[in-house]
Amino acid sequence: MSSSTEATVADWSAGRHVMAGELFLGLYQPSPETAGFWEGVARGELLFKWCAACARAYHPRRIICPQCSSTQLAWRPASGEGKVYSFSEVHRAPTKAFGRGAPYTVGLIETAEGVHYFCRIVAQQGAAIAIDSPARLDFRVLETGQRLPVFVVSAEGAR
Amino acid sequence: MTKLANNCAIAGITRAIGLRSDQDKKTPLQLVVEACSQLMRQTGVGRNRIGALFTGRMPRSYMTLQYSQSLVNELKIAPMFSTEVTSHGGGALGTIELAVLALNAGLIDYALCVTGEASPIWIDMIGGSANWEADLQFEAPYGPTTPALYAQSACRYMHECGITAEQMARVAVENRRWALHHPYAAMRAKGPISVADVLNSPMIASPLRLLDCAPWFPGGIASAALITRAEIARDVCAEPAYIAGFGQSNTHEWVGERMGTWGVGPFEQGPSMVRTGARIAAAQAYAMAGVGARDIDIVETSVPFTYANLLMLEELGFCAEGEGGRFVEAGGVDFDGGLPFNTTGGYLSFGQSGQGLYLLKEIVDQMWHHAEGYPVANVETGLVHGHGGPLACHSVMIVSKQPTC
Ligand SMILES: [Zn+2]
Repeated sequence: MSSSTEATVADWSAGRHVMAGELFLGLYQPSPETAGFWEGVARGELLFKWCAACARAYHPRRIICPQCSSTQLAWRPASGEGKVYSFSEVHRAPTKAFGRGAPYTVGLIETAEGVHYFCRIVAQQGAAIAIDSPARLDFRVLETGQRLPVFVVSAEGAR
Repeated sequence: MTKLANNCAIAGITRAIGLRSDQDKKTPLQLVVEACSQLMRQTGVGRNRIGALFTGRMPRSYMTLQYSQSLVNELKIAPMFSTEVTSHGGGALGTIELAVLALNAGLIDYALCVTGEASPIWIDMIGGSANWEADLQFEAPYGPTTPALYAQSACRYMHECGITAEQMARVAVENRRWALHHPYAAMRAKGPISVADVLNSPMIASPLRLLDCAPWFPGGIASAALITRAEIARDVCAEPAYIAGFGQSNTHEWVGERMGTWGVGPFEQGPSMVRTGARIAAAQAYAMAGVGARDIDIVETSVPFTYANLLMLEELGFCAEGEGGRFVEAGGVDFDGGLPFNTTGGYLSFGQSGQGLYLLKEIVDQMWHHAEGYPVANVETGLVHGHGGPLACHSVMIVSKQPTC
């Protein structure tokens, strides 16, 4: 996949090509149920879907609340607080582009909202990523040029 | 409820294998048709008697809408039912489960169930794979690989149950010993491996090293099974295998959604990266068959990483929850004297190619002494576990030489 979020945010219909090696698998694009999330990312915000009746946050692309079956869900900014739930350090990257950043860590962050958010986990210098390490939301430009929400484990937080 | 156990039987099961190195490279449709040809000639059940065609998911290397109809068209059959059964790898056994329902209801007499894949012949699997296993919009942009997605469960499993890398390695070592006897096993020529070999192999996605991961099978495999009611199976087959019990559980899609699922199936008590629908599917299968894990003589599973094999031994009831590591460490699945487990070499050493019903064929072959690899003595009852979608879809089937109840 290519292209930065900022460049495509204005026109969701442009889509992105998904390749398997040299084989074109199809057009993949954010759609109306997820466009709000990517508009948030473009503004530097991490948004979760929120059911006000249940006071419960969801991610990604929740259209219906599994608890009360309401479809009246709204986008709401995440607090940005969380801790590492699971992680894996990727040594063999899926593409050449990602390979430039390897090894890097992907994993699930247990956010303060209760959402388990799959993302890149970044360790500040002197910090180590471990289960339960406190982590904070930030944004980074990844190897593909895409600017995305990540969670950062800080040296102080890890102690 | 109508009694389902042992009412239907596998009246024949065949396979076709194509290799990437073959002069004439085969598509999955060619392989599937080859398997069907063998099956129809072997059983004498011709195209005018096929009441249902259930295929596994559309092969990645033969993407066409209405895939099952491609096969209807090729075989010139006219079944009452024709459909793909998906749910990732869980759909392979699902084809037979739906066939049993239709047969048991008396709607049809013969069902043709097929699976086939030949991706490693035609597609760059390393580059393309993660795009099939990850959510393209919310996960793939972060650069996960298939091992890195599965590693999320490995990470929690080790943390919650104290599983060690040595225990995980042990299953790779034992699977390899079976593979050394199988003419088609991908890793046969590599010879035996030790626990130290696994622990010293390059890190792929922590905690998973190269030898913790299944290699791709260097080709494609198609399998075809003819399912009929037990009372007519003997008319077309001298060596039937009774379908004693089955179960299935499908929970979520993509790793990032796993922890967002609660209140259903294996997540009744809350979400988990460790517990899976395999335990639900296994419990259903055992209950239907009227047997327990101690009655099982052979087990085949489709999980492609070492830790997941230990975990499935727990989920399928061969040891207690959290005991998968100690069970394997104590020789529970040793080639010498342990439970015969992944007797073709498993995904770890046979290689993976969307085996589908080939795993079931291995059990039937062992039962009737036609194994392609190392023979297991006295197989009366076997269990096969098909799975897909990073531990999201699970199907379990118990087959037996004699009715179990
Ligand atoms: Zn609600």
